[in-house]
Amino acid sequence: MENSIALTPEPAAKCDACYTDVLNDDAFCANCGYPVKGTEFEQKTFIANQEVLHLDLGEYNDKIKKAGNSLYYLSGIFLLNALFIFFTNKDEEDVLGVTLPVLILSILFLVLGGYSRKKPLACIICGLSLYVIVQILFIIADPMSLVRGIIFKIIIIGYLIKGIKSALELESFKKENNIA
Amino acid sequence: MLTEEIPVDAIEKKTCIQCEVIIDAACKYCNSCGARQSPAVEPERVDRWSLLQQAAIFFVLFLLVCCASKFIDDLQSFGWLLFFEVCIASLAVAFFAMDWQENKRLLQWPNFTISKLSLYCGIAMLGAFLVHYSVGWLNVTIFSREEELYSEFSGSYYADFLLIFFMAVTPALFEELGFRGYLLNVLLKVADKGQAIYISAFLFSIIHLSFISLFWLIPFALLIGHIRVKENTIWYSIFFHFCFNLTSCLFQIL
Repeated sequence: MENSIALTPEPAAKCDACYTDVLNDDAFCANCGYPVKGTEFEQKTFIANQEVLHLDLGEYNDKIKKAGNSLYYLSGIFLLNALFIFFTNKDEEDVLGVTLPVLILSILFLVLGGYSRKKPLACIICGLSLYVIVQILFIIADPMSLVRGIIFKIIIIGYLIKGIKSALELESFKKENNIA
Repeated sequence: MLTEEIPVDAIEKKTCIQCEVIIDAACKYCNSCGARQSPAVEPERVDRWSLLQQAAIFFVLFLLVCCASKFIDDLQSFGWLLFFEVCIASLAVAFFAMDWQENKRLLQWPNFTISKLSLYCGIAMLGAFLVHYSVGWLNVTIFSREEELYSEFSGSYYADFLLIFFMAVTPALFEELGFRGYLLNVLLKVADKGQAIYISAFLFSIIHLSFISLFWLIPFALLIGHIRVKENTIWYSIFFHFCFNLTSCLFQIL
């Protein structure tokens, strides 16, 4: 009957790296692998490596955040456009038909920006594709629109492409380093 | 110091992959030797960035053909329509055939049942019915006009046949081959299942170049994408798409 019950020992301390409970017998933290009974050098090296890991993680998240913010900017720009179109054409019969597509674009970019923190890859790819389609439609309607605000367009597309790359790298990085 | 007693069976155990000491199953690291317990991550066998670039080329080419066929006034004849259909078909087949060894399994139909096919076709027809009336109402309310599919066929002796061929048969075959065949397969290698279905559905929806229609195109594409992944064949999606478009055509013909 000696295996019928187990006695759970009281946690001896908190892990210095991840602050979860560690037991008296533990040589390493079961959650992050911190050498609880290691030498001071081993412990400092572990903490330093963890900090580097988080710096890398922060870098990826930063690029994804910038891409997400680009989607918000686009949403704002299309909202302003929709309001401008509506108020300058409000007496015309088909004002809704002209304003509604622009308003839908604004809402789409807003939703994609909002979800870009949770599902960065999907949202940024969709945002970039939508932006490219809108630009092609503008060029078909007025070829001169290709050069209008070209620097802004390049910056937005650049941020979105970097965001997609970072989202891909972040997924691989998390898998390699056992980060949930 | 002991705090409480719990049955030993309640705690799942496992053996450390390095030192073989018994540890809790929930441990990410062995608390005896410090070894990581999840299996080592294999280096990625596919270059996901290159796959995405390839998918982007497919999407942009498809988009350019759609834009030219829809918005360039000089290209609105029957001859040009035929040319664009051939372009779209060639694009879909060419990209699908690029990874033929893997993609050919999508052309098999291993779990075919007539009841399942009828169910999907029924859902598609019901969906088309709802979309027809809601889009009709929106067109009249917002744009003050009624939509007519491929009005250039009007007056032709084979108008009904041409309408069904260009509206129901070719889109169902080649859009499915391109988007649920090639594109979704690439995205499944790049992202998880949910994100892959979502991205392919969104790209499929916006390629129709009607932002008002997104309210039905996105759910429609999500459903077809889900069917394609669940059934692991492209045929149910093709029939679903065909029945949906055919119903829309019949509303105009009858």
